Amino acid sequence: MRQWRSIAKEAVARASIVVKFLCFLHVTDSYLLSFSHVLGPSMLPTLNITGDVVLVEHLSHRTGKVGSGDLVLVRSPLDPRKTLTKRIVAMEDDKVTFSLDPTRNYSSRSLVVPKGHVWIQGDNLYASRDSRHFGPVPYGLIQGKVFLRVSCAILIAFGFVGKIDLRYLYLLELVIEETC
Amino acid sequence: MRQWRSIAKEAVARASIVVKFLCFLHVTDSYLLSFSHVLGPSMLPTLNITGDVVLVEHLSHRTGKVGSGDLVLVRSPLDPRKTLTKRIVAMEDDKVTFSLDPTRNYSSRSLVVPKGHVWIQGDNLYASRDSRHFGPVPYGLIQGKVFLRVWPPNSFGSFGQ
Repeated sequence: MRQWRSIAKEAVARASIVVKFLCFLHVTDSYLLSFSHVLGPSMLPTLNITGDVVLVEHLSHRTGKVGSGDLVLVRSPLDPRKTLTKRIVAMEDDKVTFSLDPTRNYSSRSLVVPKGHVWIQGDNLYASRDSRHFGPVPYGLIQGKVFLRVSCAILIAFGFVGKIDLRYLYLLELVIEETC
Repeated sequence: MRQWRSIAKEAVARASIVVKFLCFLHVTDSYLLSFSHVLGPSMLPTLNITGDVVLVEHLSHRTGKVGSGDLVLVRSPLDPRKTLTKRIVAMEDDKVTFSLDPTRNYSSRSLVVPKGHVWIQGDNLYASRDSRHFGPVPYGLIQGKVFLRVWPPNSFGSFGQ
């Protein structure tokens, strides 16, 4: 009987450490930074078709500081379980002109983005399903702002943290410029 | 010097307890249950105009188990900082018939709710801004399902259809 009690106590203690760590990780993921694996052809040439790991920050959209030109993670209005990575082209009350078929430049439409919504488009207009197809997206669906690709972050971290010979520092700077 | 170090240690220990508790509270609020104060005339007679405290659960919408007739908390598509409390009238691919002006019953419109969206309406059609005004709302804006009223105590209990 005593053995079970001590085993149970230790199990609860270890479980509570895991729970506390997961809570902390979740809050950091929701409100600060998180990693995300993004793939697909809709953001070429900015993001690779085979996939990139990016750092996403979750502060800007909560304080209303995302704007045109930002890369954002958005919950899909067509399927709430999917998250899209697109660029914000226009904020509320902006006028947006777009054409559904970019190979023909005579079919274009204009509209004003309604209040509380944003207009998102993929950088690769030929292979992206975005606001040109499903209309403006409510601001509340924005989940975070993409600001760094992880390969860059790793290289910059090595540059600062490691002890690198001056010759290799020049090489590292060249590599960072090429990939970032 | 030794005094400052021990004071700093104790401050960090106490702050970490507070942080751990807030993390736990936040995760419970986002994924399990939370309280919410709802007010306004748009859900009369189901909810009071002066305000009710309700219990909201955040599991159903994540597993896709909200449906027609449920009272839900929804982030407003017009102002992302506001949260609305409305009833889901139709899910995706349902046909919905509504009239913008309920005092006249000859002006009615019909449409099919698109994929990934829901149609929400307040119970008080005369004083509610809902999907009849801003259109179907993406499912991703649903934040939770209201299932129990906690305050005022004389109307404690769950909601009817």
